[in-house]
Amino acid sequence: MSFDFELIEKALPLLLMGAAVTIEITAVSVAVGFFIGLFAGIARISQIRILRLIAAVYADCIRGTPLLVQIFLIYFALPILTGHQIEPFAAAVMACGINSGAYISEIFRAGIQSVDLGQMEAGRSLGLTWWQTMVYVVLPQAIRNILPPLGNEFIAMLKDSSLVSVIGFEELTRRGQLIIAQTYGSFEIWLTVAALYLIMTLAISQVVAFLERRTK
Amino acid sequence: MSGECMISVEHIKKSFGKLEVLKDISLKIREGEVVVIIGPSGSGKSTILRCMNGLETVTSGQITFEGIPVTGEANINEVRREVGMVFQRFNLFPNMSVIKNLMLAPMKVRKLGAEEARSRGMELLKRVGLADKAESRPTQLSGGQQQRVAIARALAMQPKVLLFDEPTSALDPEMVHEVLDVMKDLAKAGMTMVVVTHEMGFAREVADRVMFVDGGVIVEEGTPEEVFSHPKEARTKAFLASVL
Repeated sequence: MSFDFELIEKALPLLLMGAAVTIEITAVSVAVGFFIGLFAGIARISQIRILRLIAAVYADCIRGTPLLVQIFLIYFALPILTGHQIEPFAAAVMACGINSGAYISEIFRAGIQSVDLGQMEAGRSLGLTWWQTMVYVVLPQAIRNILPPLGNEFIAMLKDSSLVSVIGFEELTRRGQLIIAQTYGSFEIWLTVAALYLIMTLAISQVVAFLERRTK
Repeated sequence: MSGECMISVEHIKKSFGKLEVLKDISLKIREGEVVVIIGPSGSGKSTILRCMNGLETVTSGQITFEGIPVTGEANINEVRREVGMVFQRFNLFPNMSVIKNLMLAPMKVRKLGAEEARSRGMELLKRVGLADKAESRPTQLSGGQQQRVAIARALAMQPKVLLFDEPTSALDPEMVHEVLDVMKDLAKAGMTMVVVTHEMGFAREVADRVMFVDGGVIVEEGTPEEVFSHPKEARTKAFLASVL
């Protein structure tokens, strides 16, 4: 077989647009997941039992089912319940955000629990509330332990976002599929798609490593 | 020396699971008093202290601070504003400078402005001899210095009582005296203090009253002279013989 460089050259602008969409959906999903995960993670260790229970059930259900099925549930099953069709982007972000929130909640829980219990006691004994101590004392110390796994989660999400191609959302993987459907250049296009994912994940791990050094 | 009753502990019991750590403890702390609690490890003396500011909840009985019961979130927060605590392992906040450690609670709890909190903090650092360390990180200080900062941090809330939970137990021997000196100054200035410690010399010199706790009960209490020189109970005698 011959390797068609010209095909790659022609497809690259389209694939790069797909890559931009992949970054966008990943960033929005992780941002959504960050906030869900922050509150769910704090709920996991709160003194209120019902909050602990809800957060634990959420994390278990999401982590115990495939993301692909969660995407189908939100895109195809949810509209049946609500009676409204859902935009592919909204469905993708919702599914990925809720999914990564479950993993990020575990990251926050572990990070917070890695901070010495004496810090919370010292804050409370000064008259600070649980929340004040959490915000000003515990979380700033936990962030150092949270940053590396959060970077890994970002990378995992970037790769997993390829799954939203199944609902026709045109991110990098879907773009690749569409181009191949027209040109039959499977080898060249999938190789280029893989290379683009690799470049993005390597770039993210560099940024995370830089941030890690800065918080030391 | 003894003024009005500040902390009243009435028949408290405390169990951790099946283990009963405190068995019917009653005591009173009066204004201006320095009470030292001594006893072997695991006797429950630290637990008594931690119950006083609600870090541990009692299984039964009641503790009040100036008439406020130490139960429920709102009450406990109110009590903690007035009752400072110094820990064995300092528990300074490593994510902020020394002066910020002193400013945090006065600003967030007492709603002081940053300037006032800072100047009050600097004064307290001078008092414990560490004004030059204001901008340092706690981890850059020696153990003795960290504990002096921790005392200053507790004082920054202008508490009515200070609880000391084995404040010198985690220190290298040569640093013990610098912390005890600060505590002696506080006692002289009239601070109400409850001190759990193994420092018998400090207890003898500074305490108004000494309590010997063993097996979750107050075995004996009295002036330092009474407890150290003329102990009545056999258990007190045995303990003192082992530590003195």
